[in-house]
Formats: sequence, structure tokens, C-alpha cells
Amino acid sequence: MEYILEARDVSHRYGRGEDSPYSLHHVSVGIREGVRTVILGANGAGKSTLFYHFNGVYRPSEGEMFYRDIPMSYEREHLYQLREDVAVVVQNPDEQIFSSTVEEDVAFGPMNMNLHPDIVEGRIRDSLFKVGMEEYRYRPTTQLSYGQKKRVAIAGALAMEPKVLILDEPTAGLDPQMSQEVMELVDQMCLAGTTVVISTHDVDLAYSWAEEIHVLRMGRLVYSGPPEPFFGDRDAVSLAGLTVPHTFSVNRSVEGIRGRSESPYPRTESQLLAKMSPPEARFGRISVRAVPEDGAVPDDGGELVGIYGFRTRRLFDETGSRADVYFDAIEGCCLGAMQGRDAVLYCDPELVDVVRERIRGLSAFGRAPEVV
Amino acid sequence: MGDPIIETQDLTFRYSGNDSPSLDGVSLRIGRGVRTVILGANGAGKSTLFYHFNGLFRPSSGRVLFDGQPVGYRRRGLRELRSRVAVVLQNPDDQIFGQTVEDDVAYGPRNLGLDEREVEARVERALALVGMSGMRDRNTMKLSYGQRKRLSIAGAIAMEPEVLVMDEPTAGLDPQMSLELMELAEQLHHSGTTVVISTHDVDLAYAWADEIHVLRKGRLIYSGESEGFYSDPVQVYLTGLIQPSMFLINKSLCDMRGLPEVPFPRTETQLVSKMASGPKGRFVILPVRDAMSPSMVDSAVSWLGGTEIRLGLYGTTCRRLLPDSGVPVDYVFDGFESCMSQCLMGRDVVLLCDEGCVDIVASKIRRLEDFGTVVETKVL
Repeated sequence: MEYILEARDVSHRYGRGEDSPYSLHHVSVGIREGVRTVILGANGAGKSTLFYHFNGVYRPSEGEMFYRDIPMSYEREHLYQLREDVAVVVQNPDEQIFSSTVEEDVAFGPMNMNLHPDIVEGRIRDSLFKVGMEEYRYRPTTQLSYGQKKRVAIAGALAMEPKVLILDEPTAGLDPQMSQEVMELVDQMCLAGTTVVISTHDVDLAYSWAEEIHVLRMGRLVYSGPPEPFFGDRDAVSLAGLTVPHTFSVNRSVEGIRGRSESPYPRTESQLLAKMSPPEARFGRISVRAVPEDGAVPDDGGELVGIYGFRTRRLFDETGSRADVYFDAIEGCCLGAMQGRDAVLYCDPELVDVVRERIRGLSAFGRAPEVV
Repeated sequence: MGDPIIETQDLTFRYSGNDSPSLDGVSLRIGRGVRTVILGANGAGKSTLFYHFNGLFRPSSGRVLFDGQPVGYRRRGLRELRSRVAVVLQNPDDQIFGQTVEDDVAYGPRNLGLDEREVEARVERALALVGMSGMRDRNTMKLSYGQRKRLSIAGAIAMEPEVLVMDEPTAGLDPQMSLELMELAEQLHHSGTTVVISTHDVDLAYAWADEIHVLRKGRLIYSGESEGFYSDPVQVYLTGLIQPSMFLINKSLCDMRGLPEVPFPRTETQLVSKMASGPKGRFVILPVRDAMSPSMVDSAVSWLGGTEIRLGLYGTTCRRLLPDSGVPVDYVFDGFESCMSQCLMGRDVVLLCDEGCVDIVASKIRRLEDFGTVVETKVL
């Protein structure tokens, strides 16, 4: 099986008339299982319309949709099954939240799956914990701020424990820290085996996160593949209504001036800096540790302390432990170390290896801080 | 810095039924002609503050001054104030009332009691500035989000205000449209309007602002140049913000190389200039008044006498003339930055530029000298 979700030659029109415009026009796109995927495109390019095809809310006017190589059936019970596996979080949380309290809203999906009440209870707790909204469990949904509603909508999707999690503009309208928190959660879902698909027109976010991008322009698919060839094609980027990510263009300019090759392509600031770092720079070291179960973190003093993962985040909140880098901490600790400071990065136990791997990966770009 | 055009003194505001104030003792000064950004997380009080700038909200205590005079909240005072301060709301649907594009833009100027010829002139100019000249008769209900956003800005520009306040102007816009909008803000700034923007896009704020005011939970915690704020990571963290990408890269790079952080690069070309240098290309500025044609470009190209010349565009007039001009432009968006980055790599470039924007571009080029880049520039 090559794709977990696939659109084959899918067209969609909102109206029924012969001349009603296409919002998707012969789109063939495959989402690979476990691959971090971004759907890119300007407003009105067809991103949301495509997403509604992924969970069967829309039916193609022409062409066919597949889930795990099986053509989607639009029978009621098949749709239920599909939506247990494929959860879509829409851009505007008000379109997704119907229940009067947070608890009811998150419970809605699992209850519809006829799960045992104990299991439903576990899922409510677990998903509210992940988005950091446990305290709001009994709150009326109307009293929540925009950012809180967005998190409740995500919790509702997580409670389904879907195989594929699809998020339409997950960071739109959120302030920067909240955006980073959402992206960290999404990252953790990927590592836990969920296939995550995100739509965005934030090219910097897309570039730093995606393994594969699919670009839509006026309802047509214009690119599928790794991000670099697309962003290297100025005309294609411009036609798609997008711009070139900062790290991509800074790298291109600097290497162009130095007469060196653009590859390897840095996608994050730390990768860019690893490439640009002079041999004489003194780097700090990064110690990656599993967060202690009781959250009792020794205050070593002097070192830069970062946290990564929702469990670590909650533990630090509860115990009031000090951290310097609360958000985007892998990146923050790398930058700190490159500025010469020693850093300690506490993370959820299952993430320790992945995080070490990621930091070591910096050496592909040049000098990297040592991981201990 | 110029004298303050708007000033708040110990401004406190409570929404009825709320215990904690939405604005708490805010004293700030917005300098005339200073590119100003109000920064803060969601719920910090940015929009509430803006509603005080045009007198829509009245302080629970403290006061607001416009041009040195306390704002009057009687009908006449408010009318006067709103003809001089225009606020563009985040959600255009809260602001668009006219049935057609033309009606909507004309509404404000007509209310000012201007004669029809003047109203017409203002509508035309405002729509041209936002690139919507061809849509005058469109039904406002049938516009896309981006178009409605631009329409609401046109409505504000048509008032020809001394201060233009925009609440999250780029939220929900795609990247090209955001760049276009910031270019417009720059143009208005240079034509003498004081432009004030609220955003939580720190990269955008950093690239554009002369001065920032930072709000946290209704309190003003910082006023001044951006760097003073971003140099304090704890403060930035507590405010719910992050450090801008350019600031972070520069800081790390300077620490690694043992160089001073100043001058602070705020744009990509400034950063690149600081990081690497090689032979530069030449930069030709081609002013455009009311026509744009391939022959203009030919003259620039023959003056440069080379091949592989890249062509960019800057300004709303150029953008409007482009589709019918037959000029093969490489960089329609972010024309200055794109051309300059090519120039830094040694390529000759031509920037088609609104006549009124030549000074803006020239000063951007001069600014790069602080970062070690001197480019041979010619205005044709």
C-alpha cells in the first residue's frame, strides 16, 4: 500500500450547473502513511475542499477517493468507520464545537463510536491533558477564548485516536507561542505513529516541518514532493500565490555569494547556523534527559533549561520548575548551545532518542553542538 | 522622534461586568510619522486600545489626546476625530456596509460633506492604492476575504486620515497579499500618514516598525525600538511572543563569530550583507508615472548592457499597470528584497518603481551601507 489516503482524478464543483466553477480540478494526490505532509496554497486554492473529501463530507463530482486502497463508500455506516480513522480539524473552531461544555464536546466522537464509558472517560482526560485544557473540562464552550476553542477542537479529534489527523490552518489566529505549542503536539502525534496532514499558507512553518508538500493553485495540483524543488522554482512559487521561506532564501543568497552549493538545504534556523558557523566558535553541550516522573528537576543553575513534550510541559507547570525555553525548545537549546551556553533539554521519556537524533542531525549541515 | 500625534495618559478601561480592566494605566505616545506597531498576544488589549484612538470607547479613567488636545466625546468632537484617525478592524465584515464597492468607499468621504467631485477622486485613488480599481461595481457580498480586507482599507484611505490604524492587517491573508499590504503601508507612511499596526507576527513587526509598544494583559510593558524588547528573552516569553527570526539568527551568528550584534539586520538582505560579501550587481531604478512598457525596460537593459538581468516591481501603480504592459517582470511581490538579493549575488537588476516610491527604494539601498553593502545605483 503506497498511500493511506488518495484522491484519483478528483474534481469538485459547489454548484450543480454545467458552468459552475471547479473548486478542485482533476486532482490526483496521495498521502503517505507516517509522512509529515503539508498542503500549501493561497486562499481559495482548494485546500479546505480537498480536506472535506478526505473524511467523506464532500463527495467528488468526478474521480474517486481511496482510504487504504479501498474506494470510499458514502453509505452512512462506512462514513462512520472512515471518520473514526480520519479526523479533520477545521480552521474555524466555531464550526466544529457544538456541545455546551468542553467535556461533552470532546466526548462526542468517542461516544458515537459506542466505546465503553471507561474508555471514553480515559480518552477525554487524555486528550484534554495533551492540549493543556484539563482545568476547563466542565466549562461552557461559549466562555472560551479563540485559542482555547481551537485547542478543544483539536482535543475532540485526538479523542477519536485517529490514524490520520488532518488540520486545516491549525495556527491561524493563534499567537506565536500557542502556534508553537500546537506544532509541538502535532509533532508528537507524528512520532506516536499518527499520519498528520496540515494545510497552511505559512511557508516558513511548512518548510521547517514538512517532509512532503502538495501545492494547490486555483483548484489544481501543481506540485507534489519534497519542499526544496518547489521553493527553488521562483515562478511556480509566485504563481501559487506564495513566497519563498526565509531559511531557504537566506541560504541561497549566502551560498550564492560564496560560490558554494545550496545543498544541504537548512530548513530551520539552527541548521542554517550550523552551516554558517565558523570553525573557531565555541559551542555549549546539550544534555537530553527524560523528565523525572515526579517532575523534580535539579536546579543546576547556569545551564539553559528547555522542555519538550506535553507531559514534560504539564509536569513543569505543576511543580513550578524553572525553564528558560518553553516553546520550540529543541531549536531554542540548539541555538543556545551554538551561542556557547550549555543546555539541558527535558522531554517526555519516549522522545529522548528522537530528540538526540534530531540534534545530531545538525552535523549534516556543518558544526553541531555535542549531545551528552 | 516627532511630537506625539496620539497620546494616552494613564488610560484604564473596563468592559462592563468585567472585574479586571482590559487596559490598565496605559500611557503611551505615538509619534507623528513614526512607523508604529502595537504587539501583544491574543487578549492583551490591542483592539481595545485602538477603539480608544478613534473615540469609539471612552476611557473608564485617564485620557486620550489627539494632536495635543484631549479627545472630545460629543458628536462634533468625535466627527472631527474620526475624519483624522481611521481604524481598520481585523474582520472586514464588521466594517463593510455599502452594497457595491464604490458605495462602500464613498460612504466616509460623503459623510464628511465633501462635494461629489472630491468624493469621486478619493474613491478612485483609494481603490487604485489597494489594487481594486476594476471592481467598482462589484457587489460587496460577493468578494473574497482578501478583497473585503482590501476594500475596508480603501474605505479608511478615502478618508485621507492623518493616522491610519490597522488591527491585524495581514491576519488571514496569504503571503503575497501580506507583502502587498505592507508595501502599501510603507507608501502611506512616506506620503505623510502616521501608520499604526497591531499584530502578533513578530517577523513582520520587526522588519517594518520604527517603534513598538508591547501590551501584556492590558498593561504597557515596553515602548521603544524593537531590539530593546527582543533582547530580553524573559520579557518576550512572558508576553506570549517569540523573538523574530532575523533577530535570532543575527544574535547567534554574532555570538559564534565574536562580533557585535549591531547594526541589527531586520530584513533578509541586511542579514545576508552582514554574513557574506562578494562582487555586487548594479541596481537600476526605473520610475513609472502612468505608463509602463517593454521599451522602458529595453532602455534600462541596454544601459546595463548585460544579459541575465532580473526585473522587479515596487508600488501600487506599477502593480496596477503590469497586467496590460507586456513587461516580463520576475519579481511581482517583494520586488525590492528579491532584486536586492540577486544584486548581492552579482546580478544586475532593474526595479520598476512608482515615481513616488523612488525615495523609499533609494533609502532602503542606502540603509544597506550600514551592513557593508554598497551597490552602484542609478535612477533612469
